[in-house]
Amino acid sequence: MDGKTLAEHTVEYGMNNGADYVEARFIDSINENYFSRNGEFLSIQKKPTKGLGIRVLMDGCLGFGSVDSLEKEQVEERVQSISKMAQLSERKEPIEFSEEKSVKKNWSVPTKIPFKDISKKEKQEFVKKLDDDIKKCGSKKFSIRNKIKNRILFFHTNSSKKYIVTSEDSKVHSDESFISIFCVMNAETKNDKEQRMFGLGGSSGWEWLKEGNVRDVILRESKKLVRSAEEAKKVNFRKPLDVIVGPEVSGIMAHENVGHPSESDRIMGREKAQAGGSFYRELLGIKENNDAKKIDLDDTGVDIGSEVVSVVDDPTLKGSPGFYLYDEECVEARARYLIKDGQLNDLLLNREFASCFGTSSNGAARSAGFSREPIPRMSNTFFEPKDQSKEELVEDVKKGVLIESFTEWNIDDRRYHSKYVGLESYLIENGRITNKMIKRPALEMTTPALLESIDAVSNDYEYRMNFCGKSDPMQPVSVSTGGPYLRMRNVRIE
Amino acid sequence: MMGKRFDEEILKTAVETALRSGADEVIAKLVEEKKYQIRFSNSSIDVNKGWDNHYLDVFISKKPRFSLTRKIDTLTIHDPDEKKVKKRVPKQVRFLDQLPKSKLYWGMDEEPHSSYPSIKLYDEGMEEFHKKGPKLVKKMIDSADEVGAKNSAGVLHSGISKTGLLTGYGNGGEYESSFCRGTIRAFHDEESSGQGLVVTRKLSNIEKKFEDAGRKAGRLSRRSTGAEQGKPGTYDMIMSPTVGANLFGNLLSGTNPIMMIAGMSCLRGKMKKKVGPEELTVKDDSLVEEGLNSRPFDDEGTPSQKTTLFKDGEFTGLIHNTSTAKFWSFINTIKLKFWRRAKTSSNSILGQMGMTGTEENPRILLPAPSNYRFDPGSYSLDEIISTSTRPTIYLTSNWYTRFTNMSEGEFSTVPRDAMFLIENGEIKKPIKGLRLKGNLLKMCENMQAIGKDTKQVKWWAVDTPTFIPSIKVGGCKFTKARGKEK
Repeated sequence: MDGKTLAEHTVEYGMNNGADYVEARFIDSINENYFSRNGEFLSIQKKPTKGLGIRVLMDGCLGFGSVDSLEKEQVEERVQSISKMAQLSERKEPIEFSEEKSVKKNWSVPTKIPFKDISKKEKQEFVKKLDDDIKKCGSKKFSIRNKIKNRILFFHTNSSKKYIVTSEDSKVHSDESFISIFCVMNAETKNDKEQRMFGLGGSSGWEWLKEGNVRDVILRESKKLVRSAEEAKKVNFRKPLDVIVGPEVSGIMAHENVGHPSESDRIMGREKAQAGGSFYRELLGIKENNDAKKIDLDDTGVDIGSEVVSVVDDPTLKGSPGFYLYDEECVEARARYLIKDGQLNDLLLNREFASCFGTSSNGAARSAGFSREPIPRMSNTFFEPKDQSKEELVEDVKKGVLIESFTEWNIDDRRYHSKYVGLESYLIENGRITNKMIKRPALEMTTPALLESIDAVSNDYEYRMNFCGKSDPMQPVSVSTGGPYLRMRNVRIE
Repeated sequence: MMGKRFDEEILKTAVETALRSGADEVIAKLVEEKKYQIRFSNSSIDVNKGWDNHYLDVFISKKPRFSLTRKIDTLTIHDPDEKKVKKRVPKQVRFLDQLPKSKLYWGMDEEPHSSYPSIKLYDEGMEEFHKKGPKLVKKMIDSADEVGAKNSAGVLHSGISKTGLLTGYGNGGEYESSFCRGTIRAFHDEESSGQGLVVTRKLSNIEKKFEDAGRKAGRLSRRSTGAEQGKPGTYDMIMSPTVGANLFGNLLSGTNPIMMIAGMSCLRGKMKKKVGPEELTVKDDSLVEEGLNSRPFDDEGTPSQKTTLFKDGEFTGLIHNTSTAKFWSFINTIKLKFWRRAKTSSNSILGQMGMTGTEENPRILLPAPSNYRFDPGSYSLDEIISTSTRPTIYLTSNWYTRFTNMSEGEFSTVPRDAMFLIENGEIKKPIKGLRLKGNLLKMCENMQAIGKDTKQVKWWAVDTPTFIPSIKVGGCKFTKARGKEK
């Protein structure tokens, strides 16, 4: 039986078996990985995989399972087994899904050059050439000593065909394509060492490498890494000062301080034993889970940042790492203003948690593969760019620090106490960025303090890609963590 | 019943087909597994999950004529049968010609092994365990509630599997294993919580294990109510086994030669040097029966063994497979350190390699840890607390450990769940809102006491099963996030 027919049979079989709702996701994908260390390949692999993820709602209880076999009997056995297992849950409060209109759609990631049209040799050569170029960064011509001692490159392409069918007569077929490169680099100079881990990626075909200036961005970052190791000096700032953070840092802040606490499953406690809860629960005045229904998400009245702060999560951006047009519950994707003009404005909702808030899903259900359940996730989360240029942001700073990139970062599990340690960082004096590099300036701030300190947002925007981890079993999904420059007034650098 | 779809003839077919197609070396690994999970929050089950996996991994290598190095590749066939194997394996061997030679692959175990250690990894009762899961979850939640929790979240994983292995050198065999692990995070209120864990392979005393985990989590949640903001500064610190497994797990991951050459280990250059107190001895032990990563042989068919990583405070061993051991020996020979020849420590794994962490990822043959095992010290937790006369912080759980530079070991981590301030040998009050900033090597140097309360830890923030007791470390820096500046 082919995957599409099998998915449809799964839904029919599940409903005949007594389920209230069945959803089947058939995914046929090809992953290619090129993994190198200092120009030598540790592995080059191509892996085709097919599988079916099945979710059933049975008497208000949820069951999920997957099979890597396309045998009808195997699938039927799995449907029976997860339906029985779901019923064992004996929930007092039944799980409900929000009402959504049924859809029949095809969508695809726009691509010009499919990965299959590029030979393995060309892919290998891209990685080898990139490594060679990084090696030369920051070193003098003809020097045999390279300063980036360790270069790990992980180049990945994925092509997937997905077919999602639900018992509510929704059928969505998608043709997806994703490409990424993740770099780990260790720079060692006579003065000091620094390490950099960062990723670039997009929903695209092979053309992304050229159109996204991937090589140039990686080489630019490599040079800056060497310079940071060579020149940066520790400075003790005794008083609060102004800090401007670049796209990479504003992106991780939007992701950690705003995106994660906006995930509705966290607010309702479902991730509490893993990725944690959300301090939004108290902000929204939720004491018991039933309180969620009383909240008007169109007018929360909850101030959470300065008026210039708007944070958007938008899966519909073509070419972006978190691009999709229909989510994994067949709900149409749309941009979500998580914060608008400093006020908490929207959450990331899938059908289960939209129902808890008495509203409709806003299409945030994603999963890392056929063997994982769809849950509320971010896509491309960023501070909304405003009118000023980066230079205009700097002009108005008497003394401050510009942090372009970061190394260590973390945040508590309610997403309240955050820390970001700068990597490429410069002293700002009298409205201009100086050549003086600052070593590892640390911002350790609560989320409200961070969001309230922002007084200006630039009109520049740059993408970064990351894999966001959540759930159990772990579900890393590709997201954008870029954004504009932000100016933060009167903050402490540790 | 396990092994319904398991056909060991597939292994023979895969090895013979690969060799006949021109491969020089082959590993065929067949796995049939059933895994289950129950997730719960707000003291109620959220979802019941089940996975059926049946796959064959085939690793192949080929040495081109007049070459010293080999070409390598791995293939995974889901739901394998003879037809699929005979079609896809020759294709993959042909595909090797398109790949570059791997200077980082130095060969696999060629020595014949006639026997393997006998370890009992399977409890037949686990076959139907998933049906009892909801009742055990309820028991764990009720136990937490009985001692003061208001609601709980957590997870119960369980599963059974059968693994068969055959290499082109004739090594391998079969083994069955079962496991069960649970986490409960009990809450007295939004900011007062405690965690309990169950990690086991066997059903003996299973109800008590779940009740104990629930009670522990509930008690901690109750004791941590009314926590005050902690004062940033330098303190001595007592780490529960859960915290130690996370932090020292990051240090021990640096005993993997791959992490070392990737610049992600702060242990580079520390071999045969003192890194901790005399009491610190840690092994990688794939033979301990309760260890969730134990097995009779590794994925090259090398018999499992114990490898001492730290002995009496000295860094003594690396986690090698045959390839990295040969590579390491070669490097040491070049450096004229002939006495430092490395040998395999039976840690070869055909592990997943990829960014998505799911079944879609390709496999790669690399060394990987099995179970870390710390030798117990001589103190009970109560003794460690009562002898803490200087201001000391007791951490019961943590997450989000991130590094400024992994090769230096500089990190910070975020405590979660109950955290207490100890003064004059007594727990004085619960505290909150602090972050630990440190260096793994310095923490190791500053170990002051190792407990005897060894537990196996594996949960969301700890990947490698770790048998570890409570550990006290001196001079640890704690910071806090600032609110709005005035």
